[in-house]
Amino acid sequence: MATSKKTKSDAKHGSNGHRWRNGSAQTSKPVANSDLRSYSIPDYRLEHPDLTVRQAIEKGKDGAEHVRYEVEGNLNAPVPPIRDSKYLDKKQCIEIYRYMLLNRKMEIGLENLYKQGKVVGGVYFGLGQEACSCASAYALDKDDWFAPMIRNQGALLVRGFGASDMMMQYMAKADSPTKGRDGTSHFGDIEKRNMVSPISMLGDLIPVLSGVALGARLQGRNIAALTWIGDGGQSTGVTYEGINFAAVQNLGLVLFVESNLWAYSTPSEMQYRVKDLAERAIGYGIPGVIVDGTDACQVYDAARDAVERAHRGEGPTLIEAKMMRMKGHAIHDAAAYVPKPMFEFWKKRDPIARFENYLVKEKKWLTPKENAELISDVERVIEEEREIAVNFPMPTPESAEGGVFCEDGCHEIKPKYSIPKVKKGTGGFKQTEAAVHLK
Amino acid sequence: MQLTYLEAIRQGIWEEMDRDPTVFCLGEDIGIYGGAFKVTDGFIDRFGPERVIDTPIAESAIVGAAFGASLTGMRPVAEFQFMDFIGCAFNQISNMVAKTHYLWGAPAPLVLRGPSGGYVHGGPFHSQNPEMWFVHNPGLKVICPATPYDAKGLIKAAIRDNNPCIFFEHKYLYRRIKGEVPTEDYVVPIGKARLAREGRDLSIITYAAMVHTALEAAEILNKDGIDLDILDLRTVSPLDREAIAQTVKKTNKVIILHEHSRTGGLAGEIAAIINEEAFDDLDGPIVRIAGLDSAIPFSPPQEEHYLPQVSDVVREVRRLKAY
Repeated sequence: MATSKKTKSDAKHGSNGHRWRNGSAQTSKPVANSDLRSYSIPDYRLEHPDLTVRQAIEKGKDGAEHVRYEVEGNLNAPVPPIRDSKYLDKKQCIEIYRYMLLNRKMEIGLENLYKQGKVVGGVYFGLGQEACSCASAYALDKDDWFAPMIRNQGALLVRGFGASDMMMQYMAKADSPTKGRDGTSHFGDIEKRNMVSPISMLGDLIPVLSGVALGARLQGRNIAALTWIGDGGQSTGVTYEGINFAAVQNLGLVLFVESNLWAYSTPSEMQYRVKDLAERAIGYGIPGVIVDGTDACQVYDAARDAVERAHRGEGPTLIEAKMMRMKGHAIHDAAAYVPKPMFEFWKKRDPIARFENYLVKEKKWLTPKENAELISDVERVIEEEREIAVNFPMPTPESAEGGVFCEDGCHEIKPKYSIPKVKKGTGGFKQTEAAVHLK
Repeated sequence: MQLTYLEAIRQGIWEEMDRDPTVFCLGEDIGIYGGAFKVTDGFIDRFGPERVIDTPIAESAIVGAAFGASLTGMRPVAEFQFMDFIGCAFNQISNMVAKTHYLWGAPAPLVLRGPSGGYVHGGPFHSQNPEMWFVHNPGLKVICPATPYDAKGLIKAAIRDNNPCIFFEHKYLYRRIKGEVPTEDYVVPIGKARLAREGRDLSIITYAAMVHTALEAAEILNKDGIDLDILDLRTVSPLDREAIAQTVKKTNKVIILHEHSRTGGLAGEIAAIINEEAFDDLDGPIVRIAGLDSAIPFSPPQEEHYLPQVSDVVREVRRLKAY
């Protein structure tokens, strides 16, 4: 390999260890007292729900005391409008709307398959989170990467997977993307769609996506690497390690923190103490923003800004999207622990109903007839995909074997983008006799 | 060329980085400082800070980032300052990296390497041999070389392998042993054991620093006319079942020797393999010599008592020979 001279691209693609510590990129205003610092977290929402959940003792009909969650705050606040996107045009808005519909109808289809006894295990839903899953993935370019969490099944549809892929995964079919070896959205594709398979443990995708961005940068490309984490999942230590690594290395991680208020049965009040999780960005020295996770335009705009930042080599972004998980943790869980008024409050903020209203009534980008046609087309697609999926066979028992290792000829390992351009110093190999930690 | 065990590893990684632009290193203090044991000393000057990356003290991030980079076709070599700290990244290794090819068909060509092992009074958190945590994880290759030749040949093989490899470097051997290492390019195949000493009376199956303990014992026992066959496993996962069966068939008596704790240790697995492959060839019980079922204590007399010594091997060989 020839040694190359320092080129412009070296600077553009950045490297480690050469940046000044800059604190939060949102930081700036010096204040009169130099001991005080100020930070800001842009908040694109058009409303700021003030609901809080706490534990309270309630007397049952039998007179026995039970500990329950109760909610406080203005539960009758008016529903905010959709914020016009800085970037999306009519066609793109309709396309995102269609993905959100596909996402929801696919999950309704999965629920039906479950009720028919065709699903192995449970079903996980992203009800109420479709805007966050779909509009964020829509902001990626072709060469970017993503790794969905369990409620981001819509993101897979946006990136080109079929609903039948997910349905076969849930039914543990022989031709599912993992050939029956795992279920749900737990699969990936490093060839075409640049997706890393999630695992059930929370936060572990964050350093991995940082590493994907690192790998690309070593090949001369600044890419965006998108993943999501819940308000529960962000409590894990690896979340900190992963974001901090991306921050220090200035890698194009785009992290959506989905504040969906419930981590299984635990309310966000018992996960963290800060007011907004976006504030954590300050501690990492990276930009943090807040969006309404039920507003596809806000989600897209914030995601696109972060993706472009990543493409410019300016480093990671943390986006907090506020919304509520509108079903239980999985299909078995009726979410009886969630105070009913919370469901009612967030039901009025349904991402699809509001986007539909925006497109049909407010913008008039879809006539009611076109909208009805679009919905029935989505239903037809899902039905076709369902038909494909259910008709596949189950795997043979013996197919549990093999594939533990990548054997000869199984994969060719080659750089995804290009062969890294290496520069080499003049120093040759010299033996070292320096002092060491333990002798 | 005569090289120490450490220099052999260092040269192996250096040559791979020279040869293949997709190879890069990451880890704690590996850059300007050159690593706690100086395995990457001088690398940053030669290969630049882009390919020799000092990371935060965050083992899960190191493994996660290495894995992510490997998905883009890179071949990362991640250093653990001490292999004791690999536990901090256990979930990444066990649930993310090890399962990835079986579950969704993505190869993860990465190497996790670092110093392990006792006899240096490092105490309970700088002396462990945590290889068994990973032997029980299908999808990982676990490598524990004993000689400079094997250390260099196996680190190069691990870097070129398309699977995640965990490479345990015995820190007691780092600068204590020297050996002949060829100057031309070579690799040692992963998963193949070698005979460290040929003998006819009794087999010792072992690896890493314990190979040298067994060899010392063999010299003493040789004077008594006891001739040891010493099998150096080199790779502890996947195990070389054939070589294990062969030595047992030759000598009919076997001792398994390792540093880590006895219960749930590698000896149990090897005993089971012998049971499956060569039960009828046994002329005596399978004997285990291993560390105690406790943490590795710090104080030298205690550490010495915890770890297998040459005298333990000599005693057990004589006992088994007389059986």
